[in-house]
Amino acid sequence: MLVAWRYRKRPNSIIQKFDPRAWLIFYACFLFATLSFWDVRFLLPFLVVALFTLFTSGVKWTEIRRALIFIIGFVFFFAILTFLTGRGSSELYEEEHLIRELRVPISIFGWVPTLKITVERVFFAVSQLVRVSSISIMTILIPYSLDPRLYGVTFKGLGLPDQFAYAMDLTMRFIPTFGRDFQLTMDAQRARGYELEKLSGGLFEQVRKMGPIFVPVTIHAIIGSEDIIDAMDLRAFGIGPRTWLDVLDRDFKDRLLIWFGVAILVGSIFLELFGYGQFWVPEALIRWAGG
Amino acid sequence: MNKSLLSMVITLVVILAIVAIGVFFIDPNLEFPIDQATVPARFLFVGIGLLIAFAIYYSTRENSAWEVGTRQVVWMAIGAALYAVFSYLFNGTVFVVPSVSQVALRPAIAIPMFFGYTFGPVVGFFTGAIGNMFGDAWTGFSLSPQWSIGNGLVGLISGMPFLFGDKKRSLDTVLWTGGALALLGTVLYFLNPTLPNTLFFDAANNIFGDAPITLFAGISILVGFVLVLIVRFVFGQNLDIAAAVTWGMLGNILGLLFAALSDIWINGYSLPVAMVGEFLPAAGPNLIFAAILVPLLVVAYRSVQRQSGR
Repeated sequence: MLVAWRYRKRPNSIIQKFDPRAWLIFYACFLFATLSFWDVRFLLPFLVVALFTLFTSGVKWTEIRRALIFIIGFVFFFAILTFLTGRGSSELYEEEHLIRELRVPISIFGWVPTLKITVERVFFAVSQLVRVSSISIMTILIPYSLDPRLYGVTFKGLGLPDQFAYAMDLTMRFIPTFGRDFQLTMDAQRARGYELEKLSGGLFEQVRKMGPIFVPVTIHAIIGSEDIIDAMDLRAFGIGPRTWLDVLDRDFKDRLLIWFGVAILVGSIFLELFGYGQFWVPEALIRWAGG
Repeated sequence: MNKSLLSMVITLVVILAIVAIGVFFIDPNLEFPIDQATVPARFLFVGIGLLIAFAIYYSTRENSAWEVGTRQVVWMAIGAALYAVFSYLFNGTVFVVPSVSQVALRPAIAIPMFFGYTFGPVVGFFTGAIGNMFGDAWTGFSLSPQWSIGNGLVGLISGMPFLFGDKKRSLDTVLWTGGALALLGTVLYFLNPTLPNTLFFDAANNIFGDAPITLFAGISILVGFVLVLIVRFVFGQNLDIAAAVTWGMLGNILGLLFAALSDIWINGYSLPVAMVGEFLPAAGPNLIFAAILVPLLVVAYRSVQRQSGR
C-alpha cells in the first residue's frame, strides 16, 4: 500500500487551479529571483507573494502547523545566530556602525562575553529572515498542493523520458511508504523486546543487531515491488510511448503564470547585473548610529 | 543510437539534472548550505564522476546489464527511496543510536551496495546518487553533489559483477586491490594521527567536524577489510555473499575516494585532511556495516527468490 504525502484537493486553492508544470516553473523562477537579492526592499515583494500563496492555498493551519512552526523556529534560530555571531554576514559589508555594545559583567579567563549590536547586523538578520521565509513558505506548500498522482506526468511534461519520469514519481511516492513500514517494523520488534536506542555489545554486535529492522523493511519493499512490476508489465510499460491517466492541460492562466515567473527572474537578473538589490541599510540609521 | 546507449545517456543526464535541482533549489534552505563559491568546482566533479560511469558503460556497452526495463525502473525507485529513508532515520538526530569511538551506526550504505550487486549497475548508480541526494535534503545537511555521485559510484561498482560472465575469476583481484587501498589509507592515518574527523557529528553536544580522529575511526577501514576477508573465505562456498561483499568493498572505497579527493579542489583540503579527515571516517565504518549487513540482505533475498520462484 502506498502512503501519500499530505495532499488533498482543496476547492478554493489558487495554487491547485494551475497546471503543476506551470506552478513548478514559477516556483523555480521565484527561487532563483529571490536568491538574487539581499536588499530587504527588493525581498519584501517576494515575501508578499509567498504569503499570498500561503493564505490562498487552502491549506489549513491544523495541517501545516507542525511543519510551519519547525520552519519558523529554524529561520528565527539562524537569523538570531547570525546576528549574535556576525558570521555569514561579514562578506556583504566592510564597515559596521555600532548601535550598542552589551557586555556580560563576568570574565572567563580574561574573555568578557560581548554582544555588538550594529546597524548592519540588524539589517542582515532582517534581510535573511525575509529571504529564507519567502523561499521556505513556497517550498513547504509543494507536498500539500501537488497531487502525488501527477508527479510522473509532471516530470514527463518537464521533459524527462517515461522511464525516468516514472522512476522519480515512484521514488517520491515510496519515501513516506517506507517511512511508515520502518515505523511498523520497529513497533513490531519493540513488542518483542527489541530496542533500537539501547543496542548492547560491541560495534560488530550492534551492527548485526540492526538486522531485525534493516532486513525486513528492505526485503518487504522488494517483495512488494513485484506487484508493481507485474502491473506495469501487464500494461506493457516501456514498450512504446506511455499514456498517462491524468492529462495535464496548460491554458491561458498557466502560460500567464509561467511568463510572470520568467519576467520576475529575468528582471531580477538584470537588476542584479546593474548592481541593484545588494545588501542595503538605511542612511538615516547609519547617521543615527554616528556613522 | 542503440537502446542501451540511450538509456545510459538519459540516466546520466537525469542524475545531473536532479543534482542541479538539489543544489540550486533545495540546498539554500538547508541547515548547513554549501558555500556557493564552490558550486562550479562541485559540478566539475559531478561531471567527472558521470564521465567515469559513462566510461565504464562504454567499455562494456554490449552487456545486457545496462538495459533499463520495467523491473529496473521499479528497483531504482525502491532503492533510492529506501536509501533516503534509512539515511534520514540513522543520521544521528532522529534516533540517537550509540556511537562507538566516533563510528556512528549508519547502516544505509548497505542499500546501494545490495541493490547494485543484486539488480545491476544502473540500479545501483541511481540508488546511490538519487537516494543520497533525497536523504541529505530530508536530513537538512548540505547537498554535496560530488558525494552523491560518489555514492552512485558505490552502487555502480557493486553492480559490476553483472559485467563478468564468471563472478569468481575477478574476485581475488578485486579483494586485493581493495586491501591495498585500505592499507594505504591506514598508513596515511598513522602518518597524520592528530587531524580532525571532519565528518563526525556529535548530536548530543552539537559538535560537527572538529574532534580529532580516534584510533578506531582511523583504522576502521583496515578493520572493515579484515571483516570482508573473513566473509570472503568463510563464505567461500557461497559465491553470492563473497562477491556482494567484495565488490561492495571496492565500490565503497573507490566511490568515497572519488568524493573525498574532490574536496582537495572544492574545499581546499590538503591530501592528508581529505584522506584522514574525510575518506577514512566515511569509508571505514561503511565497510564494517557492509561486511555485516550486505550478507544478511543477500541471504534473505535469495531465500525469497527460492520461495517465489522469480
